[in-house]
Amino acid sequence: MVKKILIICLLHVSIFAAIYTQNCIPCHTKMPVKIDKFFYRYLLKYSSEENLKNALISYLKNPTKEKTILQEGLQNRFGVKKNTILNDEDLKKAVDEYWDIYKVFGKLK
Amino acid sequence: MLKSWDTNLLSSEKKTLFSFLILYLLFSITLLSILGVIYYNFQKDLMLQKYRLELSSLANEQILKLKYLHVNFDKKRTYPRNTRFKSGIYDSSYKKIFATFKNNHIDFSKITYMENGKIYLIKEPESYYLGTKYLVLEVDSDVSWMSQTYKTISLYGAVLFLFMMVFGWFLLRLLLKPMREAIELLDRFIKDTTHELNTPVNAIMSNVEMIDKTNLNEKLAKKIKRIDIGARTVSNLYQDLTYLTLSHKIISNDEDVSLKEIIEERIEYFSLFCDSKKLKVSFTCKEDKLLHVDRKKITKLIDNLFSNAIKYNKIKGSIDIVLQEEYFEFKDSGRGIKQEKIEDMFKRYARADTSVGGFGLGLSIVGMIADEYFLHVNITSKEKEWTKVRVEW
Repeated sequence: MVKKILIICLLHVSIFAAIYTQNCIPCHTKMPVKIDKFFYRYLLKYSSEENLKNALISYLKNPTKEKTILQEGLQNRFGVKKNTILNDEDLKKAVDEYWDIYKVFGKLK
Repeated sequence: MLKSWDTNLLSSEKKTLFSFLILYLLFSITLLSILGVIYYNFQKDLMLQKYRLELSSLANEQILKLKYLHVNFDKKRTYPRNTRFKSGIYDSSYKKIFATFKNNHIDFSKITYMENGKIYLIKEPESYYLGTKYLVLEVDSDVSWMSQTYKTISLYGAVLFLFMMVFGWFLLRLLLKPMREAIELLDRFIKDTTHELNTPVNAIMSNVEMIDKTNLNEKLAKKIKRIDIGARTVSNLYQDLTYLTLSHKIISNDEDVSLKEIIEERIEYFSLFCDSKKLKVSFTCKEDKLLHVDRKKITKLIDNLFSNAIKYNKIKGSIDIVLQEEYFEFKDSGRGIKQEKIEDMFKRYARADTSVGGFGLGLSIVGMIADEYFLHVNITSKEKEWTKVRVEW
C-alpha cells in the first residue's frame, strides 16, 4: 500500500516536472540568458509569490511588449514570444514548479 | 460650656466641595498626564529621528549587499550580516524571506519605531532584490534618554501639580466666599431672631401659668388654653433654633436617663396639643430603658418626634408610642410621607408636607442628636395612613 502511494506521488511530481521541463526549458535553452535569470528579473519587479505568478501567467497567456521583462537587446533579437499552448491548469502547474525551483525562501544561510 | 466656634457647612455643601475637589484633582492629574505623555512622545520622536539618520545609511549599505547577492544568487547564498545591527527582508505580502532577528511582529506602517527596548527601521529598496520589498533593521535602543525623560517629567510634573494645588486652593476660597457669607448671614439672622423671641415667649408662658384657671368661665379658659398652646409652639420653635445655633456646640452632659420617665413627661407636656386635635395617645412600655445620654438632647429628640406626630396627624387620630429593649417608636395616623421623600427628611429645611406650619428643622435636629449618640432612626410610612419613626440603639 505504502509503495503504491509512493509510486502515485512520484508519478504526480514527475508529471508536474514534465509540463515545465517539456514546455518551458526547450525554448529557453536556445537563448543566451538562462531561465533562472528571468525568474530573478520577475522577482526584482513583483516581489511576492502571488504577484510574480500572476504576472508570469498573464504574460504567458498574452505576451506583449509592455508586459515583458526582457531587456531591449534580447527583445530585438528574439522578439515577444507566442501565446502559450498550455491550458490554465497546466500553465499554473508549470509556473508553480518554476517558483519552487528558483524561489529564495529557505535558500539563504 | 461652649465648643470653639466654627462656620458649619451643610452636608450637601460639603458634598459639593468634596465633588469639586475630586473633579479638580482628576482634572489636574489628567492634564498633567496628557502633558507628560506629549513630552515623552516628543522626546521619543527626537531620539528616533536621531536613530533614523544613522540607520538609514546602514540600510543603504545593506541594500547594496542585497543587490550584489541578487545578481550572484546562483553562486552565493549567504545573507549579508553586520555586527552593528540585525536585519530582515520581507516581500510585498509581508512574508519573511530571511531575518537575523527573532521578532516576528514587525509594524510595517511605521518607518522607525521602538518596541521592547529595540529600535526598528523599515526601508523600501528601489528594486525588490531577492523579492525584498521591506528591509528591516533592528538595533538595541539607548535607554538613557528614557530615564532622563522620566526624571524631567517627574520633576516638572511635581512642580506643576503643586502649582495647580495652590491655584485650586485659591479657587476654592473664592468659591466658598459667597457660601460662607450666606451661611454667616443666615446664622446671624437666626441668632438675632431667636434672641428676640426669648423674652416675649417667656413672658406669655409665665403669665398664662400665673392665671388662676379655676375662676375662669369656660369660654375664657378655652382662649387661655389656645394662648398656652400657641406660646408652647413658639417656645418649641425657639428651642429648636437655639439648638441649631448654639446647643450642638454645647458639650454633652451625659448621664443614665430613664426613657420611660421622659416619654411620660413629654406626653404630659404635649397633652394640650393632643387635646386640641383630639388625638388618642397610647404608650406601651413593658420595661424601662436607661440610656447614657444628655437628658436635654434626648428630650429634644423625643419632642421633635412627638411634635411631628401631632402636627401631621389628622383630627381625632392616634399616636402610638412604644418603648422596647432595643428601640422606641412613634406611630401616627397622619397623611404619611412619599417613599422617595423619606431619604431627604433629615436635611435641614426639608419638608415633606408644606400644608402645615414649620421650618423643616425638627428631623434635622433628630438626625444630629441621633448621630451624636449612634442611634439609628428609621422612618417607614404608608401614604395617607400612617408614619412610624423608630429610634434604635
